[in-house]
Amino acid sequence: MNVLNDLDLEVPEGQFLALMGPSGSGKTTLLNLIAGLDTPSEGEIWVGDRCVSTMSEAQLARWRNEHVGFVFQFYHLLPVLTAYENVELPLLLLPLSAKKRREQVMTALELVGLTDRNSHIPSQLSGGQQQRVGIARAIVTDPTLIVADEPTGDLDAKSAHEILDLLNILQRSLNKTILMVTHDLRAARRADRIQHLDKGRLVDQPDEALYEAG
Amino acid sequence: MKFMTLIIKNLRRNLLRSVLTSAGVMVLVFVITLIWSILGFLDVATSEKTSNFKGIVTEKWSIPSQMPFSYAATLENGAAREDSDVKPIDSMTWQFFIGSTEKGKMGFNSFLFAFCMEPKKLLTMMDELDSLQPGPRAELEKAIHAMEQNRQGIIVGQKRLAALEKKVGDRIKIFGTNYRDIELECEIVGTFPLGRYDNNSCINRDFLNASLDAYQATMKKPHPLANKSMNLVWVKVPDKEKFTKISGQIDNSPMFATPPVKIETASSGVSNFLAAYKDLLTILRWVLAPSIIATLAVVISNAISISVRERRKEMAVLKVIGFQPNQIMFLVLGEAILLGVVAGSISSIGTYFFVNRILGGIPFPIAFFSSFPVLDGALWWGAAIGFATSFAGSILPALSTRSIKVVDVFSKVT
Amino acid sequence: MLKLPYAILIGVGIFALFAAVSGLLIWFFWTFINFENAWTLIPGCFAFFALMLLVVYLARIPIGYNIRNLIVRYRTTLLTAVAFTMVIGVLTFLMGFINGLKKLTQSSGNPENVIVLSQGATDEGISNLPFENMGDLAQQDGVVRFNDEPLCSREVYLVLSLPIAEPRPNSPSRRLLQVRGLYDPVASAKVHNFELLPGGEWFSEAGVRPSVDPNKQPLVEVVLGEGIARGLGSDRSEATRLAAKNPDSLEVGDTIQLDTRELLVTGIMKTEGTTFDSEVWAKQSVIGPLLGKSNYTTLVLRATSKEQAQSLEDYFSGKDPANKYEKSQVNALTETNYFKALGETNLQLLIGTMVVAAVMGFGGVMGVMNTMFAAISQRIRDIGMLRLLGFSRWRILVSFLVESLLIALLGGLVGCLIGYMFNGFRVTSIVSSGNGPAGKAVVFRIIVDWGVLGIGLMLSMMMGLVGGLVPALSAMRLKPLESLRG
Repeated sequence: MNVLNDLDLEVPEGQFLALMGPSGSGKTTLLNLIAGLDTPSEGEIWVGDRCVSTMSEAQLARWRNEHVGFVFQFYHLLPVLTAYENVELPLLLLPLSAKKRREQVMTALELVGLTDRNSHIPSQLSGGQQQRVGIARAIVTDPTLIVADEPTGDLDAKSAHEILDLLNILQRSLNKTILMVTHDLRAARRADRIQHLDKGRLVDQPDEALYEAG
Repeated sequence: MKFMTLIIKNLRRNLLRSVLTSAGVMVLVFVITLIWSILGFLDVATSEKTSNFKGIVTEKWSIPSQMPFSYAATLENGAAREDSDVKPIDSMTWQFFIGSTEKGKMGFNSFLFAFCMEPKKLLTMMDELDSLQPGPRAELEKAIHAMEQNRQGIIVGQKRLAALEKKVGDRIKIFGTNYRDIELECEIVGTFPLGRYDNNSCINRDFLNASLDAYQATMKKPHPLANKSMNLVWVKVPDKEKFTKISGQIDNSPMFATPPVKIETASSGVSNFLAAYKDLLTILRWVLAPSIIATLAVVISNAISISVRERRKEMAVLKVIGFQPNQIMFLVLGEAILLGVVAGSISSIGTYFFVNRILGGIPFPIAFFSSFPVLDGALWWGAAIGFATSFAGSILPALSTRSIKVVDVFSKVT
Repeated sequence: MLKLPYAILIGVGIFALFAAVSGLLIWFFWTFINFENAWTLIPGCFAFFALMLLVVYLARIPIGYNIRNLIVRYRTTLLTAVAFTMVIGVLTFLMGFINGLKKLTQSSGNPENVIVLSQGATDEGISNLPFENMGDLAQQDGVVRFNDEPLCSREVYLVLSLPIAEPRPNSPSRRLLQVRGLYDPVASAKVHNFELLPGGEWFSEAGVRPSVDPNKQPLVEVVLGEGIARGLGSDRSEATRLAAKNPDSLEVGDTIQLDTRELLVTGIMKTEGTTFDSEVWAKQSVIGPLLGKSNYTTLVLRATSKEQAQSLEDYFSGKDPANKYEKSQVNALTETNYFKALGETNLQLLIGTMVVAAVMGFGGVMGVMNTMFAAISQRIRDIGMLRLLGFSRWRILVSFLVESLLIALLGGLVGCLIGYMFNGFRVTSIVSSGNGPAGKAVVFRIIVDWGVLGIGLMLSMMMGLVGGLVPALSAMRLKPLESLRG
C-alpha cells in the first residue's frame, strides 16, 4: 500500500517547516523518509548534496548520526543515563577526544539552559526539562537537519512555549533546517511555513477546524 | 479451575520464557535423577536386609581373596557338620578370570573379566538376574542350558561383546592375565540382559578347573594359582539369626586354617569396599545434588520475578476489579509450580524410561558396579523437585505482589 | 507474542549453540588434562575479556549504560549471577578434586624408576614375580649401583581388610589396608625417595622385635605413610584417641592389632602427596608368610637416567624383538607411565564432571537468557533511540552481549572464590587403571590452582556468551521505529 503518492516537497536550507495533517495522512512516513529511517519504494530524497534514498543501512546510520538531530514527543532519553550522558551519546560514534566531546555537550546544554542539571537522570527532571535535554542531544553533533515529531505533544502550555522558543533560536542563530510534525496549530504557527498533508498528498487548503478540535 | 485457565494463559503469553525455564528445569532434574538413583541404589546395596539376604565368604585377611577350591563344598553347606547346624538356602562360588583376547596385550578392545561359576546359579544367586522378566529370563535360560551342554560356552555382556567386536556363536580364545599360561578357548553362547553385567562375562567353573588340572598334567607341576583359584563364595540365608549361626559355624570350623576365611553380609562387604569412595559419594550427595537443586530454584525465581515485574500494572488492574491480594499471589505461585511440576515430571519420568529401557542403565563404573538402574522413585522425584524448587523460587516474588498498590503503579512512568 | 513455531525454532537454535560451546568446553578440559600449562587459560580468559573490551571500545557503546542498567535491575542481576556462581563454584571444586588426584599420580612417579610386574599384570594386585627371577631382573645395565648392588626395591603388595576394633555407627566396620612388604627398607626408601619423620626408624633386619610380655608373639615392625597413620588414628574410639599421644594420628610406638599379631609402628614416612601416603611398609619375610603371599609382586629399579629408564621399559617389554629380555616374560613400565595409567580414574571423573558442568551450565544459560530477554523487552525504547542516533545493529548486539558477560564475570569470579575456599581440603579416593575391580585407595588434597580457576572463569564466560548471544541477536533485529512506538 502506498502511503505517500506523487509527493514533491522542497525545503530550503535554514527553513523551519511545520507539517500538519490528520492521523494516517502520512506525515510520520514522510518524516521517516527524510530522516533516513525508511526508504521510499519509488522516488528520491535529497538532503543537501546527498541522496538519502540510495544509501545502505550502514551509510544511513552514519549519515543520521552526523547530519540529523531527532526530537520526540516522549523525549526517549535513556532512563539510566544522566542528562550529560544522554546528550553525549551521539558523539561517542564520532572520532572526537574526550575534551572535545565535553565542550560540545556543555555547549549544547548551555544552549538549552540546563548546565546546572547535567548530572540528573531523566526521572529527576520535569517534562519540559527532559525535552530540552532531548533537543540538546539533537543538536550536539551540529547537524544541518533537525527532525521533530510532536515535540510539544506531551507538554503543558508554558513548557511547550519554551521549547518552541528554543527551536526558533536554533533556526535563526544556528541556521538549522527544522522539520516539525505537529497536530497543534499554535505550534505550527511558529514555523516559517506550514504544509498540510492529507491521504498522502500535499494539500493547499486544509480544513483548519480539524486541528483546532485536535 | 477458572484460575487454572488464567495460569496457563499467562504461561503461554511469554512462551519463550516458559520454554527456557522448563528446559533449565528439565536438564537439572535429569542430573539429579541420575545422582539420586546411584546413591539410592548404593544405599539399598549397603543397607542390611532382614530376610533372604546374601553373605559373602572370603579370605580373612587378604584382598583379593584367594581360597583353595577345595573349600567350595564345605562353604556351600555353610560349614555345617551336625544335623542341627544351619545350611544356606542357596549358594554359588566365584572364580575371577581376567584375560585378554590378544596374547600379552590388554586393551579396551581385548579385555575380558569373567565370573567362573556354576551356570545355573546365574538365575538364582546373581543380583538382578534372579528377578528377570519372563522374556529375558527365557533367553538367559537358553544360554545357560547351552553352557551346561558345552563346558566351553561363555556368556558375554552386550557392551563387552561389542567392544570385542564379536557376536553370539563366535569362538574366542582368552589368554589369562591373572592365570598365567592358562588359555581358555570359548564359544559365545549368549549375552546378559542390558544392565549391570554389560561389561562382564560368565564361564563354567568346571572349564577353568579342568584347564588348571590340564596345566598340572602337562607341566608336571601345579599352576601357581591352582590352590588359590576361588575368590568368593556366596550363600543365601533366610534371616539374621541363621546368618549368625552360619558365621559361627565357619569361624569354628577346623577346615579353614590356611588361609583362614570370614563371612560377612553382602551389604557390609559392599560398604567396606565403598569406604574408599566415601568422599566422592559425599560430594555427590551433599555438594552436587544440593547445588543443582539450588541452581534450579534460582533459575525459576529469576524467571518468575521478571514476569511479576513486567506485570505489575496488570496485577493492579486485577486488584481494581476485585481480586484479593492472596488470589493474585496464588496466581503467581500457581504459574511457577505448574511449570516446575510439569517440566520436572517430564524430565524424571523420561529419564526413567530412556535410561532403563533404551540405555540399559547409567554407566558409572564405581567399585564393582558398572552401571546403575534409574530407581522407581524417579517417577515422582521430578514432580517433587519441581514443586519444591518452584515454590522456593517463587514465594518471594509472589509475596511481593501483595504489596502492589494501584496508585503506585499508575503514577510510575516506566 | 511469540508464535509456537518460532519458539521451537529458537529452541533448536539454542541447542545448536549449546552443542558448539560444549565442544569448545571439551577442548578446554582436554587442555587441562593433557597439558601442564592449564594456567595459560587465565591469560586466555583475560585475552577474551580484553577482546570484548576492544570490541566495546570500537562499538563506542557507553559501558556505563550497561553497568547502570545492571545496577537498576540489581535483583535480577544478582539472581542470574548467583546461578553462575553455583555452577562455577561446583565446577572449580570438582576440578580441584580431579586436579589433586592428577597431581598425586604425577608426583608419585619418578621418571628414573622402572616398575617390573609379571606379564599381563597392569596392577600390582594381580602381579606375581617368582623369587628366583628377581636377582637377574635387577642385574641390568643402566641400573644405578649402590654398595656394589643394583639399586632396586623388591616388594610384595597386599591389600588387607582390617576389622576396625570399635567401629562408629553408620560407618564401615573394616578398613582396607595397603601393605607393602620389602626386602630391604633402606634400599626401597632410596628408590622411592622417602625419608622418615624425626623420631622414627626403619624396621630391623628381622622385621620383628620381642614383646614386653614374654607370653605374647613378637611384634611385627611397620612403618606408616602419613595418610594411613592419620586414618588408623581416626579409627580408634573416642576414649582411646583422647588417651593417645596424638589424638589425630598414630605415632611411633603405637600398635595395630592384626588378628592375633600386633604391629608396632617404628616410623612414619614423609609421603604426603603421593600414592604411598596410604601404605603400610613392613619386612617382606615377615608379612608375606603371615598373609599367605610368598612371591614378590613388584620390582622397582632405579635407572641412571630418564632415558635409560625408558629403554629398560622397552627392553623388558620386548618392543624391539631383536633386543629383548628373554629369561622370563614381564611387564615393565617407567613409574611415570605406570602412574599415568593409574590416572585413568581421573579421566572417568573428568567425564562425569564435564557432564555435570555442561548440564548445570545449561541451567545457568537458561537463566541468563531469561534475564537478557526481559532486559531487552524492558528497554526496547532505548534500543530504538540508540538506533536512531546512529548506533548500528552490531553495536546494539555488542552492548547486550557485554551486559550478559558482565553478569557472567561477576558470578564466575565469586564462584571461583568459593571453589578456591576448598583449596587444600584433604579427601580420599581411589585410583585404578580402569581394568577390573583393583585400585589403590589414596589420600590427597584438593588443588584449586590457576588452571582450575582459568577453566572456571572461561566456562563462566562461555555461558555468558551463549546466554547473551541469542537475546542480543533478537535485540539487534529490532526495527528502530517500531521499537520506539512499542
